[in-house]
Amino acid sequence: MSSVIWYLYEFARKSWAENFAVAKTNPEIVETPERFRDFPQVFPDYCISCGACTAACPAPNAIKLVRSEDTAEEEGKAYPVINNRGCIRCGFCAEVCPTDPKTITCGENHLIREEFTILPADRMFIIDDYLCIRCKKCMKACPVYGAIYEEDNKIVIDQSVCISCGECLKNCPVKGAVKGIYVANVQEQKDIINLTVNTLEEAIEEKRDDISHLSDKEVYKFDLPIDELVERARSILANDDLILDTFQKITDRLKLRIVTWDEDKCKKCRLCVDECPSGAITYDEKEDVIKRDTKKCLRCSTCYQTCPFGVAGYYVSRFLLDPPSLEEGVIHITVKASQLPIGAD
Amino acid sequence: MLDGLKDVVRKSSIHVCLINTGGCNGCDIEVVALLSPRYDLEQYGIYVHNNPREADVLLITGAVTEQWKKNLQRIYAKAPEPKVVVTIGNCPLTGDVFNQEGCSVYAPVSDFIPVDAEIPGCPPRPSEILAAILAVGPDAIAAKGRQKP
Repeated sequence: MSSVIWYLYEFARKSWAENFAVAKTNPEIVETPERFRDFPQVFPDYCISCGACTAACPAPNAIKLVRSEDTAEEEGKAYPVINNRGCIRCGFCAEVCPTDPKTITCGENHLIREEFTILPADRMFIIDDYLCIRCKKCMKACPVYGAIYEEDNKIVIDQSVCISCGECLKNCPVKGAVKGIYVANVQEQKDIINLTVNTLEEAIEEKRDDISHLSDKEVYKFDLPIDELVERARSILANDDLILDTFQKITDRLKLRIVTWDEDKCKKCRLCVDECPSGAITYDEKEDVIKRDTKKCLRCSTCYQTCPFGVAGYYVSRFLLDPPSLEEGVIHITVKASQLPIGAD
Repeated sequence: MLDGLKDVVRKSSIHVCLINTGGCNGCDIEVVALLSPRYDLEQYGIYVHNNPREADVLLITGAVTEQWKKNLQRIYAKAPEPKVVVTIGNCPLTGDVFNQEGCSVYAPVSDFIPVDAEIPGCPPRPSEILAAILAVGPDAIAAKGRQKP
């Protein structure tokens, strides 16, 4: 009953009668919205003729690279032409277009915005399970619930949740157990590591005369100032935090093995030539000399263990950067003879 | 006098037959959107029948597959004069994404039957379809009706 009354009331209204007589769609609601992705627009001036748009296009007849005719003044330019009869308005061509500004634009959604990059932070934090003592101080310090969790008696950082704040690294009592890895500039980091290791090796090579007298029990110590090293590292990548971090990781972990070569003792028995796994040791028949190529040498100690006359010497060196700063820091180098057994004894 | 009366009647009441000759069905869904209250096709006096014998306008979608080559011409022959053919979407024009190497599609539709209007897009917006039907439909039907067969 109530619905009948409602209908009577509704039909009695003037607006209903008007709408009934002239039924028309409100033009506003059928208008094309701004977000609608229409056919792509081409700006031939920016085109570099790379063909990425044609490769990305899923429709066979939609896009073609055409070349305008050569004139007396300049060569013809190649540019894409969109065939509206084949285009499906997907916008892939605009998405892949590498020019800046874009040769092809199509709607809004091809603009990949900066804030949505996959790596929001420059450092990634991981836990070294070998050094971790499971004190769980990082777990307590972590401001994100579930970013650090325990699994199979291991403490693990969930990279999909981690916000790279670095609290775990600050609160870790063990040096090196939590590692902050710089995810960008990988090639520059490699260059800095190479530079540092080579510099340290050269510094030890210079002291060879002092080292070769070392007995099994003795330890040789000297300091290397890092001013020059820092300058050269900065010329590779001017990021002091990264350089200091790289230096510390190198000095904490590097165990540099040194092979010395005393030619006076050599009796040209050529045992080492056959044993060397990398072919670094060669025998020159003309000059009757055994040569060792330091670039090829793996520092594997095989020659040291093979030689019956003690030509090859084998030493191990460790490092420490103290205090840990680029300005005042000094690398302390400790060299001692290897404890490996020698063939002569 | 009779022609004038026929014109008025034909213009105000257009019957449409929708034919999918082997497409992805996206354009057909856009036509269904046209029928919905938002666009409300019937307010313009356009009615959708899926019967070519009653149709004034044939709306063709899809990229003419092997089986449709003959049947498309049969359907066209069954529609009474005057008739108008409107193709919707890119498939009847170029075959679109189906026209890959080795695919058995025989686009364009104009190889088989005469086409009066084309609506590009994949799929076109309902308002584009509506505008095309309204632009071509009434006058073309009226004009064709006056031609002597």
